[in-house]
Amino acid sequence: MGMINFGIDLGTTNSAIGKFEKGKVEIFKNPVSLKETLPSVVAFRKGRLLVGDKAREFLKRDPLNVVGSFKRKMGTSETYFIESEQKEFTPVNLSAMVLRELKNFVHSGENPEGMVITIPASFDTIQSNATKKAGIEAGFKQVVLLQEPIAASLAYANKDEADNFGDGKWLVYDLGGGTFDVALVSIFEGEMKVLDHEGNNFLGGTDFDLKIIEELVIPHLESEGKFTDLERELKSASGRYNKLFHLLLHKAEEAKIELSTNESTELEFEITDEEGNEHDIYFTITRKDFESILEPFIKATVKQISNLLVNNQLNARDLKFVLMVGGSTYIPFVRKTIGEELDIEVNCNIDPTTAIAKGAAFFAGTKLLVITDKAKVDPAFDAERVLDIKTGYQKATQDLEEYFTALIQGDWLGYHYRITRQDGGYDSGLKPLDKQISELLPLVKDSYNHFDLLVFDESSNPVETNVPIIGIAQGRYSVAGQPLPHDICLEIDDLEEQTTSLEVVFTKNDVLPTKRTLIKELTKTIKKGAEETITINIVEGPGYALPSANQVIGFISISGKELTRDIIKGSDIEITLEMSESRDMKINVYLTLTDQEFEDIFTPSERTVNITRLNEELLVLLEKLNLEIREAEVNEQYVTAKLLNDIKKELRSLMVKSNKIKEDDVTDEKFQIEDQKRKIAQEVDNLTADKRINSVKMEYFKVKKDMLAIFDQFDVLDHEKSALDRILDQERSFLSSNSLGKIKEMTDKMYDLRARIRWRDPSYVAFLFYWFASQQSVMTNKTRAQQLIDEGEKAIEEKKHDKLRVIVNELFGLLPKEAQKRSDFQGGTGIS
Amino acid sequence: MEYPNPPRQILNIINQVFDLEKKIKKHPDSRSFERNLRRINDQFEELGLSTHNPLGELYQETRTDCEASISGELKDKLIITEVIKPIIIAKDGGFNHIVQKAVVIVESLK
Repeated sequence: MGMINFGIDLGTTNSAIGKFEKGKVEIFKNPVSLKETLPSVVAFRKGRLLVGDKAREFLKRDPLNVVGSFKRKMGTSETYFIESEQKEFTPVNLSAMVLRELKNFVHSGENPEGMVITIPASFDTIQSNATKKAGIEAGFKQVVLLQEPIAASLAYANKDEADNFGDGKWLVYDLGGGTFDVALVSIFEGEMKVLDHEGNNFLGGTDFDLKIIEELVIPHLESEGKFTDLERELKSASGRYNKLFHLLLHKAEEAKIELSTNESTELEFEITDEEGNEHDIYFTITRKDFESILEPFIKATVKQISNLLVNNQLNARDLKFVLMVGGSTYIPFVRKTIGEELDIEVNCNIDPTTAIAKGAAFFAGTKLLVITDKAKVDPAFDAERVLDIKTGYQKATQDLEEYFTALIQGDWLGYHYRITRQDGGYDSGLKPLDKQISELLPLVKDSYNHFDLLVFDESSNPVETNVPIIGIAQGRYSVAGQPLPHDICLEIDDLEEQTTSLEVVFTKNDVLPTKRTLIKELTKTIKKGAEETITINIVEGPGYALPSANQVIGFISISGKELTRDIIKGSDIEITLEMSESRDMKINVYLTLTDQEFEDIFTPSERTVNITRLNEELLVLLEKLNLEIREAEVNEQYVTAKLLNDIKKELRSLMVKSNKIKEDDVTDEKFQIEDQKRKIAQEVDNLTADKRINSVKMEYFKVKKDMLAIFDQFDVLDHEKSALDRILDQERSFLSSNSLGKIKEMTDKMYDLRARIRWRDPSYVAFLFYWFASQQSVMTNKTRAQQLIDEGEKAIEEKKHDKLRVIVNELFGLLPKEAQKRSDFQGGTGIS
Repeated sequence: MEYPNPPRQILNIINQVFDLEKKIKKHPDSRSFERNLRRINDQFEELGLSTHNPLGELYQETRTDCEASISGELKDKLIITEVIKPIIIAKDGGFNHIVQKAVVIVESLK
């Protein structure tokens, strides 16, 4: 028998769910809103049940069908009559809907049977029992209640730094979006309990946003233009400025958040006054302005705390700290005022928005799951529960909506269903299941749209169905569009390998027409009037192949003679490639430095072959071939060596032919040579591709192994973890693409990430320092190098790590250019 | 399915660019900025992040790609009349997922 492990913060304004596993708590995200919290609001609109963000949007505009803050009515006989349903709902019913919605956040596929649910310290027995009833109604077989201040304290107690947590008393100050609670909590001989509490059901962050508008924005606007009864015109649904009011609410909330870190912020918007004058408003709010608004609110909470202490015959010295919970405690003024006015240490060590759910889950990790229901069957193994559904929909469409229908077989009475789009952009809401489902599904243009159909039984437990993912392609495989048969690539310089490689611009199966702009860097400086050129070479064929193995389909050469000024190595070149449905390739090149544009359209019937370039390519191919032959011989691969030697003979005779042709040759010989060259390159490529791909894959796996070890050893930041996750998520697709460029790109990303993480480690920086110091003899300024080495040794001795980092950077700059490999390769296409 | 999200700073930059585009469009001589804005957006596309401006589209409660504030009286058909932040979509191996919902104001069709 296991533990309950799941915990829910069932809040008045917002709720959240967490799970305890292996000593840690994970707070689940809403699969359709990207947030960890769910507004505790329920809407009944057009036969759908909506819970959370969507419901909250309609709270003020459709009060007959949308309900919020029902937690305040828990345990009372009060009910809510919902007009669209013509039915009464109790606070217990509505809370159960919130709990069920939270259950859907659990992405691990588990169906929690037991749940710890938090309640305010002020809840009496009836209110507590009502909460428990809501839990059972939501389908949990076991419900354990936990007081919110205790949950918050547990979240803190389970943190590593919570070392001052022996016997004693403290306060939990909970200021959220709409409610305020403070509780006096104690531990005595290991037992934690709430001694007393105070609160205000109508105080929170949303009041502060409103006050910014009422006390700062409105007076400012009235001084700028002519407005009559501006406050009413803003707040009233039929008011002239009601739309602006919603914009201002959003901006006020942003300003509030910004003022937590900045001393001032600006509100920027436009308004037209009664006389028709347009005003561009740039209104600065300082932190001081905001604090003057907050002061009466926060002082009122201080008064409540003082009363609480007096009533319990305590003073500040009797308390360890005041633990801050709720999103509004992010505001520095709140923390400062509480600390100063009460003279108590303010403890901000827990995430105030999820602390209660976290604490509930920690508690759940210690509570045994006791299910008395003997008929308990694991739904995953209950074949009879699989609901047979026959679906019908068009798998590819040009429309932006598609009808989805389904026929339900078997027993479905009391069941509900829901359809969600996997990108998070659509949610049908919960709807009663009937014999037939009929939904109009909105589609994202030019994309594969994937939907999930979820079915729930009368106790809100998920029911297995035989419906796989619903996949609808919008704008794909249409009659007008056709997929590309091969990759289309740009040839670029590979500075490390001193050769050229391919970058895939359009991928095989991309639908035409298509367009893409690439920003590349010039790898050489070209002087105005010089002979040197930049080459834009577009080829068709696999992106992992050698450039010369593919068919050239477009080519632009820009020489120094065409330039209006010098272009400098490192400056940007913008290349736009556009391919029409009939496969015309338009290349547009824009040089940022000269502000010049070059454009050409290539069609498959107009093949362009540049002889100079062709001769260069043949030479590169010969060098490569020699290298491959040598390598094959060294590795005793005599069959491969023999085959490559045969190809070499062919290539030599082709080179003789090619050298005889002039640039303005009008015969089609150059096309034949180009064709033969391509075939030869393809043969070389086929004989050696596996080796090259295996070698880059090996390098990737090596650095990946290294990275995973580093993640275990070092403190890794969240964004670094996300960066690694992104690479690992794409791993399958880039490894199976067999694209050298793509695998190398990902390997480089790993290297960068590794360097960034290791750079924080002083011992690694010291290692780098000693390595650079060993290169002193080749450095460009040996005297400066010696000075830096002396300073570096001192920095190591004094443990001045930041200083050492600066020294290492400077030493790197003293390395000769050839050691800084990535810079001096001249030639190739001129772009990388 | 859980997806890794791009860093918050990148989303903030995209929102700033979106705001800039809105402001620039109001000026008659905005063409000279277009290349730079397009280039910035192309760079985000290279990172697998594209934006969608839902201005003028119909709004209903099943749209979970937008966070809406409803202005004025509520009637049957709602339309998006102001976009404060755009939808940001991340492309991941041929699949899309929304990494930022649009923040919009919607009004009933008059």
